[in-house]
Amino acid sequence: MRKALAAAAAAGALAAVGLIVARRGRLRLRRGLAALQLAARGGARYTRSAPRLFASAGRGREQLRNDLALQTAEDVANTLGAMKGVLMKIGQMASYVDDGLSPAARRALSRLQDSVPPMSAELAAGVVESELGLPPERAFARWDPQPIAAASIGQVHRAITHDGRAVAVKVQYPGIAETMAADLDNVALLRRLLRITAPSQDVDALITELRDRVLEELDYRREAANQRLLAAYYDGHPTIHIPQIIGELSSRRVVTSELSDGARFAELAGWPQEERDLAAETIYRFVFRSLYEAHAFNGDPHPGNYLFHGGGRVTFLDFGLVKHFTLAELQPLMQMARSLCVDNQPEAFRRAMEDAGFLVPHAPLSTEMIVDHLGVFYATIRTPGRLTITPDYASAVVRRFFDLRSPVAGYVSIPRSYVILQRINLGLFALLGELSATADWRAIAEEIWPFVQAPPSTPMGEAEAPWRARRLAAARG
Amino acid sequence: MGTDAYADAAGLVARSAAAYVSSVPTDPADDGFFGPASVTWQLSGDLSSIVAGLRALLVQALHPLAMAGVDQHSDWRRDPVGRLAATSSYLATVSYGDRAAAGRAAARVRRIHEHVNGTDPVTGRAYAASDPALLLWVHATLVESTMVACELFGTPLAATDGDRYVAEMAVAAELVGIPAALVPLDLAGLRRYLSSVRPELRCTPAAADAAAFLLDPPGLDPDIAEIWQDIRDGAAATMPEWALQMYGYRAPGALTPARRAEIRQALGVLDVVFLGEPGVLEARQRIALRMRAAQHA
Repeated sequence: MRKALAAAAAAGALAAVGLIVARRGRLRLRRGLAALQLAARGGARYTRSAPRLFASAGRGREQLRNDLALQTAEDVANTLGAMKGVLMKIGQMASYVDDGLSPAARRALSRLQDSVPPMSAELAAGVVESELGLPPERAFARWDPQPIAAASIGQVHRAITHDGRAVAVKVQYPGIAETMAADLDNVALLRRLLRITAPSQDVDALITELRDRVLEELDYRREAANQRLLAAYYDGHPTIHIPQIIGELSSRRVVTSELSDGARFAELAGWPQEERDLAAETIYRFVFRSLYEAHAFNGDPHPGNYLFHGGGRVTFLDFGLVKHFTLAELQPLMQMARSLCVDNQPEAFRRAMEDAGFLVPHAPLSTEMIVDHLGVFYATIRTPGRLTITPDYASAVVRRFFDLRSPVAGYVSIPRSYVILQRINLGLFALLGELSATADWRAIAEEIWPFVQAPPSTPMGEAEAPWRARRLAAARG
Repeated sequence: MGTDAYADAAGLVARSAAAYVSSVPTDPADDGFFGPASVTWQLSGDLSSIVAGLRALLVQALHPLAMAGVDQHSDWRRDPVGRLAATSSYLATVSYGDRAAAGRAAARVRRIHEHVNGTDPVTGRAYAASDPALLLWVHATLVESTMVACELFGTPLAATDGDRYVAEMAVAAELVGIPAALVPLDLAGLRRYLSSVRPELRCTPAAADAAAFLLDPPGLDPDIAEIWQDIRDGAAATMPEWALQMYGYRAPGALTPARRAEIRQALGVLDVVFLGEPGVLEARQRIALRMRAAQHA
């Protein structure tokens, strides 16, 4: 029983880390539970995982069971208390490596998500009233009591503000933040759940990271702040759109933002390749500009977090899981990219990896082997020219990265501050692979790399110019 | 005892889940003997029910004649998981099944009991499983254990629901063949009855074996043993001190709020594993929808 959960939770953990290190050989699962162990094995299991990551990750609580709606805070506690909410979070994270899970583990985690009904209209209204000081019918000019979507430990309602703006209001389940925070304090249990896949020295860092991220997600004010920051940063951008936060209608458990409409990821897959390439370029620009310029990284590459409007215009949703980097944390990343891709100095790349803590110093490995193994993430940007990221290509990246048979694997670890970065990196590859996106990724990277600052390389880059100019002026001014 | 106790423990979830799923009807002819508004339904779905079951078995085993019947006639040593799954299945059928299904299940148990007769090697007394006195012991300890476990680890009952539950469960007692006149109908009566049996209780070697198995199933993988430790501590915390003494266990001391929370978390983890078994979510939703409908009626 413990094993089943351990494997399931471990799979979640490894999704969070983006690193699968199943070094323990003593797992002895049998019968039905044996299948779960595969989740912890990594390596070969991931061969075919990346291409379909996103096809399955969008699942979840799509069909809201209003007939089973939670009516009281006690219903919420029964459904998400006693570690279940925490496991659900771990399960959501695990969905990014969905196909790496055994059917049994996937079933347990998705069943847990399916088992959480929405709040009743009354319960949700009660949360709004206690958070905003007014019942929703008065806080808003119009309020739709039927939730339109499930959200992270909450649900989304549509409303119209008194000044006529259509908004999406995310409402958190009452009492659940306190319960989950308390459950996250049971480090002993989490450690037992997670240690199956992670090498012992990394478990505590992993738990701390998991704990911090979930606690952050529980405070919607943090999400609002992230979204406000990025919305301001991309204000006026030709293709990147981030809905405005309505501050006076947001609080710790309720967050109100401008309502957006557009095509979902699944629809985009049916659009012409040209449209898909443009959408991919926008996502790519968003990810790297956010990291290098805003020093922030949206760590939730869920396909449900994008809306597509054609012509490469993309709305980005859900900023519950944003990691902020200090310049000191970014420097080694820049150094790594620069030494490998721009300066072509493998020894400097190796030193940068060691300095950043990705690689054990003085590992008895040739620099060639290290570049071969860890350079895999830079494969799209090491050389100029147009490149199509196919599903096979994306899965090869994941496979190479998780190849535990590689002699390099034993000397690699992901420092805590980069855990989320790792996760989105894999998510990004999977996403671009799903779109079979083509671009000169290197040329786009050169536009964004602070140490290159190349001129626009695509029409979208040209279209960004006025926005860029305003940003630079603002930075100077 | 199973030669492969780990496999037994692994099978416990799958087999209990299968038993549960097949006992929750999809198209019941009626609401059964309790119905969706009953305290029985509320308690049957409570997180604490696994602790309740463990406590009930531990207390029940202290009756030498009840224990001798199980020891000499059931195959629990060879197939403990099968034995536990059969009991879960019976309890779920009686709780959630329609009257016909519950009646059939009870009739089957009564038939089996007819052949369970013998002599307890420790006391030298003759026993018969259909003896109302033994049946009442098993019944009363289960009812009490369910309430005690819920109080400590579950969603607390409303003040008057304890009496209501005892009264509701009298039907289950009658189904297995206990004359209605013998069955306690409120908490005070239940407690009086349980105290009256105390002088007959003792820890026989068979009871010690059963308890040892339940508390520490041999051959468990270390990780499984760890979570079982939480469940076991939970059961121990609900046990009366005299029962622990009979087994020769040290009283665990007062349960701290932190330890209680940890045990609840372990129960939640188990619950999620259970939920992952085929059909469990649907069965729970069938029950929840009927409870919902009853609430609004």
